[in-house]
Amino acid sequence: MNSTPLSRNVFLCVTAIFIASCGTATFTKTGSDAAIESLRSFHLAFIDEFAVPGKKFNAAAFNAKVNEGNAKFQQAIADEKFTARRPVLVDLKAQFDADAAHLKSKASHGKITPALASEMKKDVNKIYNHALGQ
Amino acid sequence: MPSASKKKRKKHSQKKSELDSALDQVGDESAEAAIKEFQDLLGQAKGDTSELVRQNAEELERRLVLLKDRKIDKEDFDYFVENQKRDLRVFVDSQPAQDQERAEKLTLQVLEIAATKVVPILIAMI
Repeated sequence: MNSTPLSRNVFLCVTAIFIASCGTATFTKTGSDAAIESLRSFHLAFIDEFAVPGKKFNAAAFNAKVNEGNAKFQQAIADEKFTARRPVLVDLKAQFDADAAHLKSKASHGKITPALASEMKKDVNKIYNHALGQ
Repeated sequence: MPSASKKKRKKHSQKKSELDSALDQVGDESAEAAIKEFQDLLGQAKGDTSELVRQNAEELERRLVLLKDRKIDKEDFDYFVENQKRDLRVFVDSQPAQDQERAEKLTLQVLEIAATKVVPILIAMI
Protein backbone atom coordinates (compact mmCIF):
# COMPACT_ATOMS: atom_id res chain seq x y z
CA MET A 1 0.00 0.00 0.00
CA ASN A 2 1.65 3.24 -1.15
CA SER A 3 1.09 6.33 0.96
CA THR A 4 0.89 9.75 -0.65
CA PRO A 5 3.39 12.44 0.44
CA LEU A 6 0.51 14.41 1.97
CA SER A 7 -0.76 11.54 4.16
CA ARG A 8 2.83 10.73 5.17
CA ASN A 9 3.38 14.34 6.21
CA VAL A 10 0.12 14.41 8.17
CA PHE A 11 1.14 11.18 9.93
CA LEU A 12 4.60 12.56 10.79
CA CYS A 13 3.11 15.81 12.00
CA VAL A 14 0.58 14.04 14.29
CA THR A 15 3.32 11.77 15.62
CA ALA A 16 5.59 14.75 16.33
CA ILE A 17 2.80 16.59 18.19
CA PHE A 18 2.03 13.45 20.24
CA ILE A 19 5.69 12.93 21.20
CA ALA A 20 6.10 16.62 22.07
CA SER A 21 2.98 16.63 24.26
CA CYS A 22 4.15 13.49 26.09
CA GLY A 23 7.50 15.11 26.71
CA THR A 24 5.89 18.26 28.09
CA ALA A 25 3.59 16.26 30.39
CA THR A 26 6.49 14.19 31.70
CA PHE A 27 8.59 17.27 32.25
CA THR A 28 5.76 19.06 34.12
CA LYS A 29 4.96 15.96 36.20
CA THR A 30 8.63 15.66 37.10
CA GLY A 31 8.62 19.30 38.19
CA SER A 32 5.53 18.72 40.30
CA ASP A 33 7.09 15.63 41.91
CA ALA A 34 10.23 17.64 42.64
CA ALA A 35 8.12 20.32 44.36
CA ILE A 36 6.50 17.64 46.56
CA GLU A 37 9.91 16.15 47.38
CA SER A 38 11.15 19.62 48.33
CA LEU A 39 8.14 20.07 50.67
CA ARG A 40 8.84 16.64 52.18
CA SER A 41 12.46 17.62 52.91
CA PHE A 42 11.32 20.85 54.54
CA HIS A 43 8.64 19.06 56.60
CA LEU A 44 11.08 16.40 57.86
CA ALA A 45 13.74 19.03 58.67
CA PHE A 46 11.09 20.98 60.61
CA ILE A 47 10.37 17.92 62.77
CA ASP A 48 14.11 17.27 63.20
CA GLU A 49 14.62 20.84 64.38
CA PHE A 50 11.77 21.07 66.88
CA ALA A 51 10.98 17.51 67.96
CA VAL A 52 14.11 17.21 70.07
CA PRO A 53 13.71 15.78 73.58
CA GLY A 54 14.98 18.18 76.24
CA LYS A 55 15.52 21.08 73.83
CA LYS A 56 14.26 24.44 75.11
CA PHE A 57 11.32 25.63 73.02
CA ASN A 58 12.14 28.77 71.05
CA ALA A 59 8.75 30.26 70.12
CA ALA A 60 10.20 32.92 67.80
CA ALA A 61 12.27 30.41 65.82
CA PHE A 62 9.32 28.03 65.72
CA ASN A 63 6.88 30.65 64.43
CA ALA A 64 9.39 31.85 61.84
CA LYS A 65 9.80 28.29 60.53
CA VAL A 66 6.03 27.74 60.46
CA ASN A 67 5.60 30.97 58.48
CA GLU A 68 8.33 29.84 56.08
CA GLY A 69 6.51 26.51 55.69
CA ASN A 70 3.16 28.18 55.07
CA ALA A 71 4.72 30.34 52.35
CA LYS A 72 6.35 27.30 50.71
CA PHE A 73 3.11 25.29 50.68
CA GLN A 74 1.06 28.22 49.37
CA GLN A 75 3.60 28.84 46.62
CA ALA A 76 3.60 25.16 45.65
CA ILE A 77 -0.22 25.17 45.48
CA ALA A 78 -0.23 28.33 43.35
CA ASP A 79 2.49 26.97 41.03
CA GLU A 80 0.91 23.54 40.55
CA LYS A 81 -0.01 23.15 36.88
CA PHE A 82 -2.01 19.94 37.36
CA THR A 83 -5.25 21.14 38.89
CA ALA A 84 -6.02 17.58 39.99
CA ARG A 85 -2.92 17.68 42.16
CA ARG A 86 -3.82 20.82 44.06
CA PRO A 87 -6.07 19.01 46.57
CA VAL A 88 -3.13 16.68 47.30
CA LEU A 89 -0.94 19.69 48.11
CA VAL A 90 -3.75 21.11 50.25
CA ASP A 91 -3.81 17.78 52.16
CA LEU A 92 -0.02 17.98 52.65
CA LYS A 93 -0.36 21.50 54.00
CA ALA A 94 -3.12 20.32 56.38
CA GLN A 95 -0.69 17.67 57.67
CA PHE A 96 2.01 20.32 58.13
CA ASP A 97 -0.46 22.56 60.03
CA ALA A 98 -1.52 19.63 62.26
CA ASP A 99 2.11 18.62 62.92
CA ALA A 100 3.06 22.20 63.76
CA ALA A 101 0.16 22.52 66.23
CA HIS A 102 0.96 19.19 67.91
CA LEU A 103 4.69 19.95 68.09
CA LYS A 104 4.05 23.41 69.55
CA SER A 105 1.82 21.94 72.24
CA LYS A 106 4.30 19.19 73.13
CA ALA A 107 7.56 21.13 72.80
CA SER A 108 6.33 24.13 74.79
CA HIS A 109 5.54 21.74 77.67
CA GLY A 110 8.81 19.82 77.32
CA LYS A 111 6.94 16.62 76.42
CA ILE A 112 8.82 15.56 73.30
CA THR A 113 10.01 11.96 73.24
CA PRO A 114 12.28 10.23 70.69
CA ALA A 115 9.35 7.92 69.79
CA LEU A 116 7.11 10.91 69.05
CA ALA A 117 9.65 12.38 66.61
CA SER A 118 10.22 9.03 64.96
CA GLU A 119 6.50 8.26 64.54
CA MET A 120 5.77 11.75 63.22
CA LYS A 121 8.42 11.31 60.55
CA LYS A 122 6.96 7.93 59.58
CA ASP A 123 3.55 9.57 59.08
CA VAL A 124 5.09 12.39 57.06
CA ASN A 125 6.90 9.98 54.76
CA LYS A 126 3.73 7.92 54.34
CA ILE A 127 1.53 10.86 53.32
CA TYR A 128 4.15 12.16 50.86
CA ASN A 129 4.58 8.69 49.37
CA HIS A 130 0.82 8.50 48.87
CA ALA A 131 0.85 11.98 47.34
CA LEU A 132 3.44 10.79 44.84
CA GLY A 133 1.44 7.63 44.13
CA GLN A 134 4.13 5.39 45.63
CA MET B 1 5.23 -35.86 78.32
CA PRO B 2 5.90 -32.74 80.33
CA SER B 3 8.83 -31.56 78.25
CA ALA B 4 6.86 -31.71 74.98
CA SER B 5 3.95 -29.87 76.54
CA LYS B 6 6.29 -27.22 77.90
CA LYS B 7 7.92 -26.84 74.49
CA LYS B 8 4.51 -26.47 72.83
CA ARG B 9 3.40 -23.74 75.26
CA LYS B 10 6.64 -21.87 74.72
CA LYS B 11 6.24 -21.96 70.94
CA HIS B 12 2.67 -20.65 71.27
CA SER B 13 3.72 -17.79 73.53
CA GLN B 14 6.46 -16.78 71.06
CA LYS B 15 3.77 -16.23 68.43
CA LYS B 16 1.91 -13.80 70.66
CA SER B 17 2.62 -10.16 70.09
CA GLU B 18 3.81 -7.91 72.91
CA LEU B 19 0.42 -6.20 72.80
CA ASP B 20 -1.53 -9.48 73.04
CA SER B 21 0.56 -10.51 76.02
CA ALA B 22 -0.22 -7.23 77.77
CA LEU B 23 -3.93 -7.39 76.98
CA ASP B 24 -4.11 -11.02 78.15
CA GLN B 25 -3.12 -9.82 81.62
CA VAL B 26 -6.28 -7.75 81.96
CA GLY B 27 -8.32 -9.29 84.76
CA ASP B 28 -11.39 -7.10 84.39
CA GLU B 29 -14.20 -9.27 83.00
CA SER B 30 -16.16 -6.28 81.71
CA ALA B 31 -13.19 -5.35 79.49
CA GLU B 32 -12.72 -8.85 78.11
CA ALA B 33 -15.38 -8.55 75.38
CA ALA B 34 -13.93 -5.29 74.08
CA ILE B 35 -10.41 -6.72 74.10
CA LYS B 36 -11.52 -9.87 72.29
CA GLU B 37 -13.38 -7.83 69.65
CA PHE B 38 -10.30 -5.66 69.18
CA GLN B 39 -7.89 -8.60 68.97
CA ASP B 40 -10.13 -10.37 66.43
CA LEU B 41 -10.42 -7.32 64.19
CA LEU B 42 -6.72 -6.47 64.48
CA GLY B 43 -5.81 -10.07 63.61
CA GLN B 44 -8.05 -9.93 60.51
CA ALA B 45 -6.57 -6.57 59.50
CA LYS B 46 -3.00 -7.86 59.88
CA GLY B 47 -3.81 -10.75 57.56
CA ASP B 48 -5.77 -8.72 54.99
CA THR B 49 -4.83 -8.75 51.33
CA SER B 50 -4.63 -4.96 51.16
CA GLU B 51 -1.21 -3.58 52.04
CA LEU B 52 -2.72 -0.38 53.39
CA VAL B 53 -4.99 -2.29 55.80
CA ARG B 54 -2.05 -4.42 57.01
CA GLN B 55 0.19 -1.36 57.34
CA ASN B 56 -2.48 0.49 59.34
CA ALA B 57 -2.90 -2.49 61.71
CA GLU B 58 0.85 -2.75 62.24
CA GLU B 59 1.16 1.00 62.90
CA LEU B 60 -1.70 0.87 65.38
CA GLU B 61 -0.20 -2.08 67.23
CA ARG B 62 3.24 -0.45 67.35
CA ARG B 63 1.77 2.76 68.77
CA LEU B 64 -0.27 0.92 71.39
CA VAL B 65 2.95 -0.75 72.54
CA LEU B 66 4.70 2.65 72.62
CA LEU B 67 1.84 3.97 74.75
CA LYS B 68 1.99 0.98 77.08
CA ASP B 69 5.77 1.50 77.40
CA ARG B 70 5.21 5.23 78.07
CA LYS B 71 7.29 6.22 75.05
CA ILE B 72 4.37 8.31 73.80
CA ASP B 73 1.42 9.66 75.78
CA LYS B 74 -2.34 9.56 75.11
CA GLU B 75 -2.24 12.96 73.37
CA ASP B 76 0.36 11.64 70.94
CA PHE B 77 -1.57 8.42 70.42
CA ASP B 78 -4.83 10.29 69.68
CA TYR B 79 -2.93 12.57 67.33
CA PHE B 80 -1.54 9.62 65.36
CA VAL B 81 -4.97 7.98 65.23
CA GLU B 82 -6.38 11.16 63.68
CA ASN B 83 -3.56 11.10 61.10
CA GLN B 84 -4.34 7.48 60.29
CA LYS B 85 -8.08 8.17 60.02
CA ARG B 86 -7.49 11.07 57.62
CA ASP B 87 -5.38 8.83 55.42
CA LEU B 88 -7.81 5.90 55.59
CA ARG B 89 -11.04 7.76 54.81
CA VAL B 90 -9.79 8.29 51.27
CA PHE B 91 -8.93 4.59 51.02
CA VAL B 92 -12.34 3.42 52.32
CA ASP B 93 -14.23 5.79 50.04
CA SER B 94 -12.24 4.56 47.05
CA GLN B 95 -13.23 0.91 47.60
CA PRO B 96 -16.04 -0.70 45.57
CA ALA B 97 -19.39 -0.34 47.38
CA GLN B 98 -19.56 -4.03 48.33
CA ASP B 99 -16.09 -3.88 49.97
CA GLN B 100 -16.50 -0.60 51.85
CA GLU B 101 -18.10 -2.07 54.96
CA ARG B 102 -15.29 -4.58 55.46
CA ALA B 103 -12.60 -1.99 54.68
CA GLU B 104 -14.13 0.40 57.21
CA LYS B 105 -14.39 -2.34 59.85
CA LEU B 106 -10.73 -3.32 59.47
CA THR B 107 -9.41 0.23 59.44
CA LEU B 108 -11.49 3.05 60.93
CA GLN B 109 -13.44 0.81 63.31
CA VAL B 110 -10.27 -0.85 64.66
CA LEU B 111 -8.79 2.59 65.29
CA GLU B 112 -11.98 3.69 67.05
CA ILE B 113 -12.09 0.63 69.32
CA ALA B 114 -8.40 1.07 70.11
CA ALA B 115 -8.82 4.74 71.03
CA THR B 116 -12.03 4.42 73.02
CA LYS B 117 -11.78 0.97 74.63
CA VAL B 118 -8.25 -0.42 74.54
CA VAL B 119 -6.30 2.73 75.41
CA PRO B 120 -8.15 3.34 78.73
CA ILE B 121 -7.45 -0.28 79.69
CA LEU B 122 -3.75 0.03 78.80
CA ILE B 123 -3.45 3.33 80.66
CA ALA B 124 -5.06 1.79 83.73
CA MET B 125 -2.43 -0.97 83.60
CA ILE B 126 0.60 1.34 83.60
